[in-house]
Amino acid sequence: MTFRSKLFVNFMLALLVSVALVAAGVTIVTRRAFAELNREHMDALVAQFHKEFERRGHDVLNRVQGIADAEPTVRMAIDLSRPNADISVYVNDARGVAQSHQLDFLDFVGTDGSIISSAEWSARFGYKMEWVTQKEDWASRGSFLMKLDTQDGPALALMAVATVRVGDKDLYVVGGERLGKEFLASLVLPSNMRALLYLHLEPAFQPVNLIDSAGPVTEAERFEPIIERERSHPSEQTAKIDWTFDAASSEIFHLIPLLGRQNELLGVLLIGNSLRTVVTLERHILWLAIGVAAMGLLFGLMLSWWGAARVTLPVRKLAAGAREVSDGNWNTRVAVRGHDEIGQLAQSFNRMTQQLVDQRERLIQAERVAAWREVARRLAHELKNPLFPLQTTVENLQRASAQNPDQFEEVFRESTGILLAEIENLKIIVGRFSDFAKMPQPELGPVDLNEVIRNVVKLFEAQFGAVGRPPITPELHLKENLPTIQADTTLLHRVIENLILNAMDAMPAGGILMMRTTQENGNVDFEISDTGTGLTHEEAERIFTPYYTTKQHGTGLGLAIVQAIVADHSGRISVESETGVGTAFHVELPIKPPNHPATPVTVSEEEKKEEA
Amino acid sequence: MEIGATIKSLDPSVAAASPQEADAKTELDALLYDHRGEDGAFAGTAGSGAFRVSEWEAGKRAVLAANEDYRQGRPFVDAIEIQMGRSAHERVVDLELNKTDFVQIPAEQARQAADRGVRVSASQPDELLALVFVRSRAATGDARVREAIARCIDRAAIVNFILQKEGEPAGGLLPQWSSGTAFLFSLDTDAHGAKEIRPQIPASTKFVLGYDSADTLEQSVAERIAVNAKEAGISLASRAMPTPGTKRANANDSKPEPEIHVDARLIHLRMPSPHPRISLTAFINRLGSLAGIADSPLPESASPEDIYYSERSIINSGLVVPLVWLPQVVGLSAQVRDWKRPEAGQSWPLADVWLDSAADAR
Repeated sequence: MTFRSKLFVNFMLALLVSVALVAAGVTIVTRRAFAELNREHMDALVAQFHKEFERRGHDVLNRVQGIADAEPTVRMAIDLSRPNADISVYVNDARGVAQSHQLDFLDFVGTDGSIISSAEWSARFGYKMEWVTQKEDWASRGSFLMKLDTQDGPALALMAVATVRVGDKDLYVVGGERLGKEFLASLVLPSNMRALLYLHLEPAFQPVNLIDSAGPVTEAERFEPIIERERSHPSEQTAKIDWTFDAASSEIFHLIPLLGRQNELLGVLLIGNSLRTVVTLERHILWLAIGVAAMGLLFGLMLSWWGAARVTLPVRKLAAGAREVSDGNWNTRVAVRGHDEIGQLAQSFNRMTQQLVDQRERLIQAERVAAWREVARRLAHELKNPLFPLQTTVENLQRASAQNPDQFEEVFRESTGILLAEIENLKIIVGRFSDFAKMPQPELGPVDLNEVIRNVVKLFEAQFGAVGRPPITPELHLKENLPTIQADTTLLHRVIENLILNAMDAMPAGGILMMRTTQENGNVDFEISDTGTGLTHEEAERIFTPYYTTKQHGTGLGLAIVQAIVADHSGRISVESETGVGTAFHVELPIKPPNHPATPVTVSEEEKKEEA
Repeated sequence: MEIGATIKSLDPSVAAASPQEADAKTELDALLYDHRGEDGAFAGTAGSGAFRVSEWEAGKRAVLAANEDYRQGRPFVDAIEIQMGRSAHERVVDLELNKTDFVQIPAEQARQAADRGVRVSASQPDELLALVFVRSRAATGDARVREAIARCIDRAAIVNFILQKEGEPAGGLLPQWSSGTAFLFSLDTDAHGAKEIRPQIPASTKFVLGYDSADTLEQSVAERIAVNAKEAGISLASRAMPTPGTKRANANDSKPEPEIHVDARLIHLRMPSPHPRISLTAFINRLGSLAGIADSPLPESASPEDIYYSERSIINSGLVVPLVWLPQVVGLSAQVRDWKRPEAGQSWPLADVWLDSAADAR
């Protein structure tokens, strides 16, 4: 992955995380805001219910008190206070009074608790309503919830009691309103809210007792757990019902216990708040956030791509420059503007390459001087050896001419012979230097490396097993079907010959000379190793330096020539050596050297045999 | 004259659709026919009576003109205009406003009407309101059930409160003034006894007491019986039944009426005659099909003892529970003169009354 791609990915990840965080934050804040809004709505509705409940209670109390204060009721009380009063006269009075005062329940109750007249259940006259006669200050009691027996079964009512006292006898006016669907219908609810009423009239949960403003609620059995919980611990609670797997179907209910005079649970008001609107709105906001995020991501993607390209352009220039440097073009310069880190890096890079070039020049200069010194030292060393005999011989001639003229002739002959031999020796030395200096350019042609190796080895077979010398055993591990390479056969011949000679010199006590050819990565490799004395680390580092030799009579040009030939073939030579174990030279030659296009040809065994 | 019933036809061969129509038709027949048999049946031809029909609008209005050739002499009034289908409230109000001279008043409203200054005339109690157990219902097959319900009924409360004391508690099938043996039948409420029987009745047993939906008295009595039963621990619900002969509001509805199953129902039994044998026989005939009472008709030679034992036999069966005796109550304007309270089985003596036009001025 490129630096630009990495930078782009990082930009995108950062953008994605930022967008996700913002989206999550917006969602959480929105959800909390909606929850708070819902809670406020719920609180308002609960407050409305309490207010409405209180208002109705006052209303019922006022109406009941109004009935008690009315003239007919007072006359009734006076009449009933008389001995042997005929209460049957009033048996039907309650109904009309209740209708005129819009009360669902109205009972006139005598001082002994007997029902004189009942509006809702007129047939109950004469029976006792004993709770009315209990010691209680009805005037201060106000309205209260109560479970009543009606013809259609028990009912929940908001009741009030007023007393008309005549003498020592009381006439109780007991009136109230049914707490049912009409009451629920009177509550003003937002569209997403509803009010339910559970009439706790039976010991166990009865689905039919759960009503809304239209009547019994469908799927009322789903409310059983929360109603049971309310029955166990009457208090204002909140419960949630998931009608389906869809979160939008969920409904939050606020439960308000409705208690009677003895704080007994008589009913439960459930104010339901559908989450559909909220969830739908949340989903809209979420989708909007996703859309904005997607747009932002898309925009960010393009911006990141452009930004990454812009930011990484100097880096890519630097990388290209570094590649140029690694390819040997040390004069590379990176044109980067700006004074930021990248600009400073580019300037440093340019200074570094400039310093490299300068140092290389200085190094070349130093190496050149060192090489000339080495050449001078070797030349002086090589020339000193023959010059000393020449000097001695000439001095012998001078001494013989002066001291022994009679033996001069003989000395002259011997001396001239020595002089000629040494001069010849000087000519050989000069010739070697001349040869190294006149290294020819390779003439490339298809070469079967295996064949070259085999030919060279044949030349040395006699020397490997020469009498008086410890034997050297050649081992050839030549890869079959090795492709031909574009090379100069003569020069390759010389390379292998020098390496074998070098190996033989390293194995004075004999050993194994192993030659191996392989093919790797478009190159043909060959390796020549011996089991000789090996090289030290310092020797191995300097082994290819011209005129460096570890041998007593070497010129130090053999391996230098080998390296030069390999380099002329665009190849590479390296050495691995361990003292006392042996040395291995590894040569890599390209099948097709640069600037010398050629199709590698694989020489089959049959063709080789035919050639043979 | 205003009545509550609607008479569809005066033809004797056309049966009355409801008991109210039958009673009203009987009253009109008494004016149109000359002779009435011992059993209350009319003989002769229409028009032989004190009046003849001069105008007729079925179910709405009728005008009876005085029969100049009436055997017992021409009635004092020239004609009687009859408005049918008037509610009790409308009738009393019309009477108070002098829009009519003669109206039927339900017994339970007689006291209230009298308190308002209406001239009220009530006959001797001759109409029995009774609870009859339906023979085909399994719930009432157990005599203990019938006994428990019969014991818990508070007749005095019905008379005093619902009927406003315009009536008498009924223990037997015949009133005291007719049979002289009514005092032998218990009128007491025995709620305690009913509660003792209650455990012997399966707890799941629920009873339904039916009443005529058009009869407010029956409704009040049925509701009171339901309260009495509830206090005794018996589950009994009152339920309105359609008045026989009435049609539903949507006459085009081809769906059949849902059948209402009741275990018992309230019925009115009006004595056709002051003679106990005749009335009891009529009652037995009426109750036979409903309650499954199969007593043989009493012979003409039946003694008061025979009548009592027959009556006792029916009461002891528990299939019929007499509740209250109701009088026939009418309201009269101040113009009506020479009104005589009719005896049991007798019709309104409208041929003998006359109108004092000066009375209105007073």
